[in-house]
Amino acid sequence: MSPTTTGQRIILSDVNLSYGSHQVLRGLTLHVDAGEIYALLGGNGAGKSTTMSTLLGFARPDSGIVQIAGYNPTAEPDRAREQIAYVPENVALYDHLTARENTVYLLALAGRHPAPDAIDGAFEATGLQAAAWDKRLGGFSKGMRQKVAIAIALLREVPALLLDEPSSGLDPRATADFNRLVHDVARKGAAVLMVTHDLLSAADIADRIGFLEAGRIVDEASAQGDDRFDVRELHRKFAREVAAA
Amino acid sequence: MSTVTLIASDELRLMRRNRVAVVAFALLVLLTLAAALISWAHQQSITETRARFQSQAAEEFEAQPDRHPHRMVHFGNFIFRPLGPLATFDSGVDAFTGNSMFLEGHRQNSANFGDVRQSSLLVRFGQLTPAFVLQVIAPLLLIFLGYGAVARERELGSLRQMLAQGVSGRALVMGKLLALGVVAALVGLPTMIAFLLIAGQPGALAGPMLVIALGYAAYLTLWAIIVILVSALVRRGRDALLALLALWTALVILLPRVAPDVATQAHALPTRLETDIAIAHDLHKLGDSHNPDDPFFKAFKEKTLRQYGVTRVEDLPVNYKGLLGMEGEKLTSGLFDDYADRSFAIQAAQSRMTDGFGIVSPAISLRQLSMAAAGTDLAGHRRFMTQAEAYRYDMVQRLNRLQADSVSYANDTAGDVGADQRKRISAGHWHDIPQFRFQPASAADLVKASLPGLSLLLAWLIIAALALLPVARHLQKARP
Repeated sequence: MSPTTTGQRIILSDVNLSYGSHQVLRGLTLHVDAGEIYALLGGNGAGKSTTMSTLLGFARPDSGIVQIAGYNPTAEPDRAREQIAYVPENVALYDHLTARENTVYLLALAGRHPAPDAIDGAFEATGLQAAAWDKRLGGFSKGMRQKVAIAIALLREVPALLLDEPSSGLDPRATADFNRLVHDVARKGAAVLMVTHDLLSAADIADRIGFLEAGRIVDEASAQGDDRFDVRELHRKFAREVAAA
Repeated sequence: MSTVTLIASDELRLMRRNRVAVVAFALLVLLTLAAALISWAHQQSITETRARFQSQAAEEFEAQPDRHPHRMVHFGNFIFRPLGPLATFDSGVDAFTGNSMFLEGHRQNSANFGDVRQSSLLVRFGQLTPAFVLQVIAPLLLIFLGYGAVARERELGSLRQMLAQGVSGRALVMGKLLALGVVAALVGLPTMIAFLLIAGQPGALAGPMLVIALGYAAYLTLWAIIVILVSALVRRGRDALLALLALWTALVILLPRVAPDVATQAHALPTRLETDIAIAHDLHKLGDSHNPDDPFFKAFKEKTLRQYGVTRVEDLPVNYKGLLGMEGEKLTSGLFDDYADRSFAIQAAQSRMTDGFGIVSPAISLRQLSMAAAGTDLAGHRRFMTQAEAYRYDMVQRLNRLQADSVSYANDTAGDVGADQRKRISAGHWHDIPQFRFQPASAADLVKASLPGLSLLLAWLIIAALALLPVARHLQKARP
């Protein structure tokens, strides 16, 4: 299949997936456009991680359509993964490498070889202090690690960014910094899908928020006006969905 | 740079930045160098000592005064087995079998003065040779450096992240394997340098050296594959380390020690005492040359008299006692050869059974290959024993022939005051007896003998390499 030319970079359409007799995704449908940030909220066991695994090609759906920039992650996992930058909840970077070495190495694995200036620029964009650029990651905080991960994602210039519980464990300031970064990535045209428990963070940056319950989207809200979302209303919905789950 | 080399480079960078890994690697390289030097010095010393003793024994033999030839049969001669240059690398069974023999008439002695019998029991646990370091210690280093290669990526979460970046499970496994392969090559490097030094020595054979290099390369590559396989199969690095240490203990320590015990039980050798009693019994049955009524020797006497057309031994143109000695030696040697053949047949069966354990332990296959190619295996020992016996028989028969031709029967049986002087022959005869020259096996024979071990090792290597394919595919489905 050739890459899509439409604006929808991430597509899940009527996706069903079971692990043995346990059906995890039940007709899940969502799409994320280029430049859009979509937050997928759901309680434990709602299917957030499985959704992520499906998009990464680690889980094979029983039925439905899954596409990343036009590529099916199950049929063409390598091509689909070339379109994705994935930032897991616990950013897995190497402690024996410096921030710069991590960036160079992980980008090289993805077939990218950015100039040193470009790496400096990405670090600056993430707000990572210059003193940390050439330090090994052994003493880095989670926030600093996420900045490195986002720098890598920026440098990859891929059409889709997948974030798995990105604000988990971050202090408010680090969360705000992180949200700003994600916003910058989306502004450059990437479709961003984040799965999260963090309603406030989602409300802060998402263009749309989907509520996932028992493997399907049961409600969806779009940002409107300056206030974007009615957080109280979102909270009520989220509490209801979590309680129902 | 390809993905595989990128991953390999990073793995090597991790090892370089890990102080424990660097120290362990440096220690092993030093140990290999030390083993090569110690073994070299040891073998040089043995070679010089044996050459000196051999020369001394030959001088003493030739320095004997005019004597009765049969006295020289009992004076005997010492011979020493010279070691090939590859014994520096793998001394094989030499330390256990002995390396010198006392040759005399009427009996076959076994080899004596093995290092084990002259050293502490610790020698039994393996001498510090390059072969020992590469067979036993090097796999341990590969385990410590590589057990976390893939398991660590899984524990850290980077495995999933790498795969999500488009890195294939196959590239990951091959990259890690390449890194560990580089370590294995570096570990083997000092030995290969030592090999180059050995190659310049007289008697060094290119074919067996090539087989040894190939065998050890296959063995270390096999261990690198096993380490990566286990690291990729288990979820945690700690589990990988435990599993690999258990494997190492079983394959490298236990089985190579259990296998010979099982073979010894299955094909038991009679004890020295049992053999001595059985030989004495059979000798008795052969006949007594001193008994005029012994049927065999009575028949021999009649046959000899008929052959020369005389009726009394006194009328023979040769000394009958010399002929009797030759016939007696022929008989007893045949009997001793028979016992030696039976003993070697049992030992060969033990060796075959032990080597058969190579199916379950690559260390055993490597040991078989290594000793066979170095010429220090049981076959090499037997080669020495066979040549020694052939030399002994020739030496004794030459002396018996001298007695038959150069000492008259009348003098030989005389008991008067001057008889002893008349029985003696010139000491110059002792110089005519050639000195022992050990003929080592040819390169082709050594290579041929090492092929079973090499084949088993390569089979292990192919199976392990094939096992990597499904494991790499399994990695592709990495779950958090």
